[in-house]
Order: sequence, then C-alpha cells, then structure tokens
Amino acid sequence: MPGMVSMTQPIQQSFNPYTENGGTILAIAGADFTVIAGDTRQSEGYSIQTRYAPKVFRLTDKAVLAVNGFAADGNMFVKKVRQRLEWYRHAHAKDMPIRAIARLIQTMLYARRFFPYYVYNILGGIEEDGTGAVYSFDPVGSYEREACRAAGAAQSLVQPFLDNQIYFKNQTPAAGTAFPKHLPLSTVLPLVIDSFTSATERHIEVGDGLEIYVVLARNSTALAGLQSLRGVQEVTGTNDGERVFVIRRDLKKD
Amino acid sequence: MSIMDHNGGSVIAMVGKDCVAIASDLRLGDRALSISSNFQRIFPITDRIYVGLPGLGTDVATLRERFRFRVNMYTIKEEREIEPETFAHLVSSTLYEHRFGPYFIEPVMAGMSKTPSGGYKPFIAATDLIGCLNFAKDFVVAGTASSKLYGVAEGLWEPDLEPEDLFETISQTLLNAADRDAFSGWGAIVHIITKDKIITRTLKGRMD
Amino acid sequence: METSFAITGKGYVLMAADTTAARSIVKMKTDEDKIKTLSPHLLMAYSGEPGDTVQFAEYVERNIRLYQIRNVYALRPAAAASWIRRSLAESLRSRKPYSVNLLLGGYDTSSYNPQLFWIDYLGTMTEVPFAAHGYGAYFALSLLDRYHDPSASLEEGLDTLRRCIDEVSKRLVVTPGKYKVKIVDKDGVREIEL
Repeated sequence: MPGMVSMTQPIQQSFNPYTENGGTILAIAGADFTVIAGDTRQSEGYSIQTRYAPKVFRLTDKAVLAVNGFAADGNMFVKKVRQRLEWYRHAHAKDMPIRAIARLIQTMLYARRFFPYYVYNILGGIEEDGTGAVYSFDPVGSYEREACRAAGAAQSLVQPFLDNQIYFKNQTPAAGTAFPKHLPLSTVLPLVIDSFTSATERHIEVGDGLEIYVVLARNSTALAGLQSLRGVQEVTGTNDGERVFVIRRDLKKD
Repeated sequence: MSIMDHNGGSVIAMVGKDCVAIASDLRLGDRALSISSNFQRIFPITDRIYVGLPGLGTDVATLRERFRFRVNMYTIKEEREIEPETFAHLVSSTLYEHRFGPYFIEPVMAGMSKTPSGGYKPFIAATDLIGCLNFAKDFVVAGTASSKLYGVAEGLWEPDLEPEDLFETISQTLLNAADRDAFSGWGAIVHIITKDKIITRTLKGRMD
Repeated sequence: METSFAITGKGYVLMAADTTAARSIVKMKTDEDKIKTLSPHLLMAYSGEPGDTVQFAEYVERNIRLYQIRNVYALRPAAAASWIRRSLAESLRSRKPYSVNLLLGGYDTSSYNPQLFWIDYLGTMTEVPFAAHGYGAYFALSLLDRYHDPSASLEEGLDTLRRCIDEVSKRLVVTPGKYKVKIVDKDGVREIEL
C-alpha cells in the first residue's frame, strides 16, 4: 500500500557526511611538460549542480593539482594545500619542489585517516630535474609517481585507453624500431581531448566542459606548438622559467 | 559478490565495412580462483550469426543449448535460416520468459543480415539479462570488463573499418580492457565475419 | 574438507580423492570411496554436501548405466558430461538444489582420447587437462600449471599426482591423510596403489 513503511526492525538513521559529485580527471607526463585535465561538470545523482566547477588548480608554476570525488572536500583540501605552500614560501624563500608537495599531500591526507578527505588527487608538474611528473594519490595518502593516470567516475573507461596509447601495452613495435618513452605535446593533447569526448559519450557524469592545464619546463620544446593552438591562456605567476597554460574546450552537455 | 562476477569473462562486438567482429576472453573462474583458460563463450548460430554469452558459466551452457533448440525449430518450421534481427528478438523473448528468475547472462550478437537487394549488411545487438534489446550502430559490450571495454572502444573505434583493421581495433580494445579487469583475460579469441567467410584467431595476451 | 584431483596423460585419466568421511571434529571413516565408476570407461569423483553427494552420484551412476543397458553402447564422456551438467543446472533452480561438485574423467573409445571435465554444483562445466576441487585445489593447481604434461606416461603422471598430494599434506591445516587413486584408459577402470 502506498505510504506504508515496512515495520520490521527499527532502522538507525544517521548523517552521511559524504556525497559523490562525479567528474573525471587525468594527467600525462611528457619529457619536458605535463598535462593535467579535468571536466567541469559537477553532479549529484542524476542532477547537474553546475556545468562549470573547476577541478584543476594551479598551485605553483611547477605544480598543478587536480582533485576529484567529493567536491566540498576537494575544494577545502586545495585551500589547505595552498595555505601550506604559502607558509613554506615564507619560511624558505622558495617554492616547494613537486616531489616535496607530493609528500606533503600524503601527510595531510593521512592525518585524516579516520575521517578522510573523500578525494582522489592527481598532482602534475615539473620535477627539480626538469622532467614531467605525475603523482597520484588515494583518499588516505598512498601515492606513486607515474607517467599517466586517470581518476574519477570514468577512470575505468579512460585508464585502459591510456595504457594502450601512452604505454603502448599489447602493442609490438615494428621490426627494428622501438616505442618512444615520452610522447610530444602535439600527440598528448589530442589523446587527452579524445579521452574526455569518449568518456562524455559513455558516462553520464562526464561532460559540459574540459579544462586542460599544460605545465612546461624551462626551454620546453613544446612551447612553440602550444601558442599556435586556439584558445590558449597563460596563467604563469612568476618569471622562474616554467610556464603554465590553460586550454578550455566544450564537451557535450547531455 | 555479484552473481554476474562469479565466473568472470567479457564479450565485445563491433561493426566494420561490410563485416562484423565478435571477440571474448577465455577465462573461467570460481570467484578469484581461475579454473580454465579455454572456456568458450561465443557460439555460431548460423553461418552468418554468432552469439557471445558472458556471465554465469552454467547459464552459458544452458542458453547455448536452448538457443540451439529454438533456432533448429525455427529452421524446420520456416524452411529457411534465421536472420540476425529475428534471432536477436528470439534471444530477448527467451530471456524475458524468466523475468523473475533470470539467466545471469548478457548476450552479445554479431551477424550479417540479408538486404532486399541480395547483399549483406553488418548487424550487432546486445541485451541485458532480462532481454532488453540494444541495436547499436558502432559496438556493444558486456561482461565484467564492460566499463573498460566502453572506454577503449569509444577511443579506438571509427566507422567503415576494413576486416583487417577491424580485427586490430577489436583485439586492442579487448586486450587492454581485459588487462584492467581481474576477472577477464587468460586468453582471447576473435571472429571476423564477412559475407562469405569467417576468420577466427586466438590472441596472444597477458596470462595473469 | 574434501579434496579431489585429476590429471590427463598419454591415453589415460588419473583421478584421486581423499578417503576421509568427517562430521565436525570427528573422522567417522577413513576408507570412504568417493570415486564412482559410471561405465567401463568413465570415472566420477564427487564432493560437497553430505547426503547430496552420494544421492546424486548414485542417481547419475544408475542413469548412465541405464543408457548402456538400453543402447548397448555406453555414453561417450562428453555426452555423459553434458547430461550430468544438465541435471545439475535443472537442480539449481529447483526447490532444493544438489550441492555436489564433480570431476568426470573418461576414455573416449571412439576418438581414442582421454577427457577430463570439471563440473561444479551450479552446472558450470569445462573440459580441462587437469583439475581439482576443494581447498586442496589452491595448492594443487599451481603445481599442475608448472609440472603437468598431457603426453606423460603413467609413471610420470603418478609422480605429478604425488607432488600434489604431498603439497596438500604439507600445507593444508586439515590434511586428508589417505587418498584413493583410480585410472581410466583404453583397458577400462582400475585402482592404483600410490
């Protein structure tokens, strides 16, 4: 009968502090650059909360952090990381190197081991030796440096595609040749865009817009090609040599 | 653990230029323990229709036998071979008969259907475990690696692939998706169906 | 817990099953035969829910024998396997399903080949070069992946079987102790002393 609740056992009610806001992020490391991208849709269940909620944030000219999972925790976590980086700058008169930021993120996450930040972080940028770096984290701080990583709602769709196209898994090189260890930006950017258009097709929580951050090392060979692209915006903060650019693209809104 | 994950396994079918391809992994597991690296889950229905049955192992065998019976009865009564679209509806009705106690299978079909002019047109279809039909134009996926298959297929597929190119595309899709799924893999088989022949190949892939 | 293994070799299938019949902490019997001879060239090792096991195994034994009585020729291993699998699949969605796992080993006298089938209580069936049921499987299967040879002689096959039994005895907490070993080949079924 409508309206009648099953009266079996008493059911304890409680406040659920978490929710899932959908979306997907991805980062790929090159020889002298790193790309960090995320879609801009924020959803809850079948509803879209907003078509534009950034998930990728510039921390320094060398480090960009993408956060995905529970948006409230993600946004707050970025604020706290930025605060710690500012304190470091005041104390040490220099920016934190990216591998130190990665370790810092681990300790910040593990400090909340018993009421975690429900966020999957991907930190991308340029290492002290000028190479592209991607660090991926779980919600309680387990982390690892990798060449590429996808996280979020469409992780299971995007990661195997990246395994095939970046790591050349299940492919054998032509006789006498070898696969490149690093791909150029001109190859990586279309892969990122294709990953997101594919994810948008097959996953309802992905879509609306795409924001790609490109972090270039000093004297990166990728600089020339970047500036010829449509809609590239520079967001570099300092004059140390590393440069950060943002590329925005539309994704399907359905 | 979900009943659909008990034995593991995945299937994919793709449309190409005047051809279709259907492929599956070969693993049969008992939860986390792998039992066989030779478990067939794709079966020929006619010379031009293949069906893939990912899901619970016992129902794979039962449904294969049920479809064989029903298609044989069709052939005897109609005095002609069943067409792919008709077979798809046959699959749907067989599954819906058990709407409230279903077979734990999500069938995937691939075939070449006859056109009025006498030629052949590529055909793929899939259903859920209670028979809801999906007639896709590009590809259909099912099994424990379905979300991974969606991702790679969406990235790699393009329309009008020739049989040799379709073979490469579907093989890479299956291998890379299965490598990210613990319950799929342990070998793979691919069938390329054109209007006059079927080429079957087993793939070399990770055996872990 | 009940352990059974089987391996194929050159022209034979070797089958071994433990001989312990236990209830809770008590070993009621230590000479239980858990391998039935279904026909002159067909062996079936069973394990699972007490009661269901013997009831189902005898039901199968009688029906396979009935086919032979009616038709003079015995069912070939693959056909018998299909029939047995179908019985279990039908039982699965009945009021009270049989909870029995089987290993079916036979010698096909028409194709002159040994054949082994792994069947579980759901009616899942697959032809395999070697197989095992029970907790012992977690130890035996990896050894068999490494040491099994489908063209091995009987002596080599027995060595491989001994490896599996020794590993289970060494590593499984509740070790069975004794095993009954049977072989089926072109000459039929006989018991083997390990």
